[in-house]
Amino acid sequence: MATNDIEELGRLIAALPPTPEGWVRAAQELPQVRRGLDDLLARAEADAALRARLIADLESTLSDAGIEPTRHVLADVRDRLRSP
Amino acid sequence: MGPEISDAALVARCRNGDDSAWGELVERFSRYVFAICSQGFRLSRHDAEDVFQDVFTRAYENLSKLRNDDAVRPWLAQLTRRLCIDHLREAAREAPVEDLEPDGMDEVIELLDEAMSVREGLAKIGEPCGDMLDRFYARDQSYRTIGDELDLPAGTIASRISRCLEKLKGAMEDSGTLVRPDVG
Repeated sequence: MATNDIEELGRLIAALPPTPEGWVRAAQELPQVRRGLDDLLARAEADAALRARLIADLESTLSDAGIEPTRHVLADVRDRLRSP
Repeated sequence: MGPEISDAALVARCRNGDDSAWGELVERFSRYVFAICSQGFRLSRHDAEDVFQDVFTRAYENLSKLRNDDAVRPWLAQLTRRLCIDHLREAAREAPVEDLEPDGMDEVIELLDEAMSVREGLAKIGEPCGDMLDRFYARDQSYRTIGDELDLPAGTIASRISRCLEKLKGAMEDSGTLVRPDVG
């Protein structure tokens, strides 16, 4: 950066406003959510009743497993349930 | 906002399964990714959130494929650009658009890279200066709000901000990020 103008620093600080907190938190919790989902889906592979519950009422089944059923988590699980 | 470890060290810790490092990586680059989506591609809030989560999901899944840990920022920029374009392409099935990436995207990324360097400077100067400058410029808080939240007289905030900017400028000149003006 080659500038003598201190106001330019203010402009550059303003160029990166904060991201909504919920978005950041959801991304930060990705590892824990992934582990929870992997575990749940592995159990569903071996447990037909659990798999049926997941398909019939995904949101409640995720909540019962301690996983917050956000829009992105739901989409991810639906994709994984569809894949062979 | 404190002294930061290098991007490469942070990536290495993430790759070793350190959840707190992952949280720090998201914190460090969240504004950058958000700005590319919202300022660069002018995505709606809803679309920007989709791309934002997608970027960090892909990053989490593919971090082991990153060849140069120091290059995590350009890697994230490229990933964000690609996913923004994919998102627009998906939307364009219904309403075709001629050019999916807005003009001047390289310049936007360049500006955001400079802004990230300034954020590194903010971390270096520590508190309360880093927080105060972030509140005033990035969070658009008034002197009164800053004064209330930091328990400082509102009448002193303007002069404090001015001193903090000088401190930031000095820190960035010392680190070579900002070119010191010629004197004489």
